[in-house]
Amino acid sequence: MTLLKGRPVFGGLASGPALVTKLPMNFTASFTKPKNIFPWWRSQIQDRHHDLFKRNVKGCVLIFPAAIGSTYTGMVLLELMYQECAPAAVVVQNIDPLLVSGPVLADIWFSKGIPIVEYSGEDIYDRISDDDWVEVNGETGKIKIREQISS
Amino acid sequence: MSGEKMKLEPEHEMMLAGEAGKALARAMITLVEYGKAFGAKRMMPIKSSHLAGTFGIKVFKAYLHILNQLVEEGVRCKVLTTVNPRPGYDLHIGNKFVFAKQKILETLLADLGVVPNYSCVCYDRVNTPELGDCISWAESSAVQYANSVLGARTNRNSILIDICSAVTGYTPEFGYLLDENRRGRVLVKLKIDEMDASGLGFLIGKKVVDKVPVIENYNFSKIELKNMGGAMAASGGVALFHVEGITPEAPDLASVFDGDPKEVITITQNDIDALRFKDLDTATSVVFGCPQMTYEETMLLGQHFAGKKTKLPTWFCMVPEASKRFEGSELYTKVVEAGVKVVDFCPLAGFSLRIGNKKLLTPSGKLYYYLSDTVYGAVKDCLKACGV
Repeated sequence: MTLLKGRPVFGGLASGPALVTKLPMNFTASFTKPKNIFPWWRSQIQDRHHDLFKRNVKGCVLIFPAAIGSTYTGMVLLELMYQECAPAAVVVQNIDPLLVSGPVLADIWFSKGIPIVEYSGEDIYDRISDDDWVEVNGETGKIKIREQISS
Repeated sequence: MSGEKMKLEPEHEMMLAGEAGKALARAMITLVEYGKAFGAKRMMPIKSSHLAGTFGIKVFKAYLHILNQLVEEGVRCKVLTTVNPRPGYDLHIGNKFVFAKQKILETLLADLGVVPNYSCVCYDRVNTPELGDCISWAESSAVQYANSVLGARTNRNSILIDICSAVTGYTPEFGYLLDENRRGRVLVKLKIDEMDASGLGFLIGKKVVDKVPVIENYNFSKIELKNMGGAMAASGGVALFHVEGITPEAPDLASVFDGDPKEVITITQNDIDALRFKDLDTATSVVFGCPQMTYEETMLLGQHFAGKKTKLPTWFCMVPEASKRFEGSELYTKVVEAGVKVVDFCPLAGFSLRIGNKKLLTPSGKLYYYLSDTVYGAVKDCLKACGV
């Protein structure tokens, strides 16, 4: 078990398996493609420029450096939360207005927000690997990591 | 939570307390929480807003729920508020399905009192802020132009944050509203023989991600600044760029950088050429206008088509008001006779769903980034593919 301390940005407590990328996330390009119309592909990343192409974000703790792209971002994230197929939490190296708006809107208008913690250190990528179980606290900034037991 | 302290005026407290209705209270709470995450100390009154949410996408439900709540309580925009392009609902049956909520959405927007300009290039004649104006816009390409070329101040606000600002008349003060965040971070040197502003923007966005780039002096036209900015805001998260000696906050390098640049990058002709699609013969259609084409841009580009026939289905996506003016020109007839379709919807939305048109060629770095099965060409490549 590893414990990291980031900066609390928004929301409460949530956990899930880690999904890690070193590439910035473009949520609009990821979740507004024709395929995303279908419920079973709604939360599958459809950004062909990204290394998480075709990965599903539902219930995971998404770990990435920054959000990029269109100002649809907040609405796209809000909709994922509203439809309950969003990541469980996000850990990001640099917060930005578009990323933060999604959880804030989901929380205030529908009580369905998710936690955001900012952790700027590059060591995040050594500490957390895909499928490690991660618990994120948006009020304290604490990130608990239970490494996957490799067989 | 971080940055707990925000100084609120009686007007904000009144809204938060629900004295002007529940929906307006929620709009204000949204802005307060949004501001707190970034350590905002106060709310700033805004001159205008621009909304990006103009596609009535069937599967997007939460957005309309919020608009409905506002409209039911009779909430109206408090400042000049323009809106993004329409999605091309009538283009084919598929779009009618995907954008099934288009009419409902447009009625809600009208009820909120927006200006129905329906363009991402809202700063062309309709919503043109001045140097130093505080605004709260969405639409990454419009935010980019307002910040960089006009010197107004806005963050890259999301859809719905834009509406919360429009109906309250406020935005929390942080980010690009503050002097210290408007300074240059990365100096961009150019080793380019043949300028392709949109391709350059695409490359800069990829390299700097969300830092403020300063491009060394080059006399970009307004059209080039629009297209370069749009691309940079798609491939990266750039909200503000400067061009030495051209944009209002960069009279020279010394004043735009706080000391020496933290980083220097060079973009070469080879970098740009590597983006350009080589098998032009295999392109199946050509789309111009993302961000939408202005009147001036269309008059320049249209010349190439006069007296010729385009080899491929070719689209000009124009600012609606500019398209009406263009229809009155002689060149319009020539362009249409050449086979060009002149439309006023958003190509990114309109062409998302398409069958049997697998290699869409575009000189827009933004469209190239967002649309599946799209290839990039400089303007001259696109004209060549059209055979004009």
